[in-house]
Amino acid sequence: MTTEPALLSLTEVAQAIAQKRFSSREVTLACLGRVAQWQPRLNAFMAIETDEALAAADAADAALAKGNVSGALHGVPLAHKDMYYEAGKIVTCGSHIRRDFVATTTSTALQRLKDAGTIRLGSLQMAEFAYGPTGHNTHYGPVHNPWGLDRVTGGSSSGSGAAVAARLTFAALGSDTGGSIRMPAHFCGVTGLKTTVGRVSRAGAMPLSQSLDTVGPLARTALDCALLLGLMAGTDPDDPTAVGGPLPDYMAATRESIKGLKIGVPTAFYVDDLDPEVARALDETMTVLKRDGAEIVQVELPDQRQLTAACQLVLAVEAAAFHKRWMIERPQDYGPQVLMRLQNGLAIPGVSYLEAMRWRGAALAAYLAAVAGVDAVIAPVAPVAAPTIAESDVGNSPDAEAVIQRLTRFTRPINYLGLPALAIPSGFTKSGLPVGMQLIGRSFDEAMLLRIGAAFQRATDFHARVPKSA
Amino acid sequence: MTKPSPKEIKAMADVAGLPVSADVAARIANSIGPAFEGFAAVAGTLPLDLEPASFLLVQAAKVSK
Repeated sequence: MTTEPALLSLTEVAQAIAQKRFSSREVTLACLGRVAQWQPRLNAFMAIETDEALAAADAADAALAKGNVSGALHGVPLAHKDMYYEAGKIVTCGSHIRRDFVATTTSTALQRLKDAGTIRLGSLQMAEFAYGPTGHNTHYGPVHNPWGLDRVTGGSSSGSGAAVAARLTFAALGSDTGGSIRMPAHFCGVTGLKTTVGRVSRAGAMPLSQSLDTVGPLARTALDCALLLGLMAGTDPDDPTAVGGPLPDYMAATRESIKGLKIGVPTAFYVDDLDPEVARALDETMTVLKRDGAEIVQVELPDQRQLTAACQLVLAVEAAAFHKRWMIERPQDYGPQVLMRLQNGLAIPGVSYLEAMRWRGAALAAYLAAVAGVDAVIAPVAPVAAPTIAESDVGNSPDAEAVIQRLTRFTRPINYLGLPALAIPSGFTKSGLPVGMQLIGRSFDEAMLLRIGAAFQRATDFHARVPKSA
Repeated sequence: MTKPSPKEIKAMADVAGLPVSADVAARIANSIGPAFEGFAAVAGTLPLDLEPASFLLVQAAKVSK
């Protein structure tokens, strides 16, 4: 195990602090040191709160010395996507409009992590109002990919992907409405969990689409994601859409073998028009899973293009409805691409929107029937590795939406179906860019995905590679 | 289901209280056209007794391999 605390995983550092092998101050200083080193090149942080973080670390150390432990993440410093409200803190949502917005409440997901003992390093960059899959941001500049500074991170959780990859934070909350956790996980080489709609409370998280929004973590390992999900999941009086009932032991799931599991690989759509290096990573990932005892079988899925279309109809309308007041009062304060995409929602009739919503249950039932014989499905997150910042800077050009749809074509069907998906680092291109695969599960079966992801990470080291800072 | 034309989009945006120029209407038509085309096979085919909450019922059903 490394002696550099910032390079430990979340579960490792939590244990190291609890066992007093590192103090919270030492760990926090190590993270802040890496932030100082990387931030000028990555632009991953929206705010860095050095003094407050160190004061909180000292308080955590003092509490631990007295035998008072807050929870499983006592004294662990984290930073999150700047859309999770924390009372008294500015939450920009990556926008100019909310540049000075001070939250008066704290989001449930964030509060549950604070209750577990985490301390705040600052906040992380993101696409404006979480409405962009590349990592560009007109107001605050693009976030740069630590594996290639001329490359995008993916979005909308751009800062989360970059900061976790560069080991500036042990994990970070993201959000996934159309791929916003999985895209940066894929482009930046980290593990990202898109949760089932309803698995984690969205109270106090900036909304984009009430039907599609999900809260989830980006972290270094599936085990770390399991720890975070276990802390955040479950019912919440502040969010009636959060589902109750007993929660699985996600950490225990990561220790289970995958021998005998059946993993489906789609016969079409997700395997069409792949960059050869992504196709190779998919093949090699399946080889590893087979070697670990899983059986790979082909699955024929319903037409995924229809799901993508339905997702676009729902997202466009709901986002426009959330933003209508500012679209009237402050259109000049949006970035051109975000305003353009919000305007798309104006052109979709109410009947079309409701047809897309009415079909959702039937579409989910058809998908579940198609995958009834397997435990999970594996597919690429995107057809290509990270494009350059320059080539993906399409702004509000006439073909911008087409570019966005091409990049996110493998993530949007899953959002429409509300299913969980775990993005795992699965290889590197010859030029050194990460490639990720997504494991797609049944509703509320995150445990299965974490089990498979953890087994894959025991057999590979893609998740453990760290980008060079020089 | 056919995709709306720029002229129809301009009228819809006016009704929504957010007027757009002809250029913006044309750009919107270009952006959302594929979504309408992709959903065309489903639109207008759904049975009466199907409401959005059916998603929650399917999601909550215990389905195992």
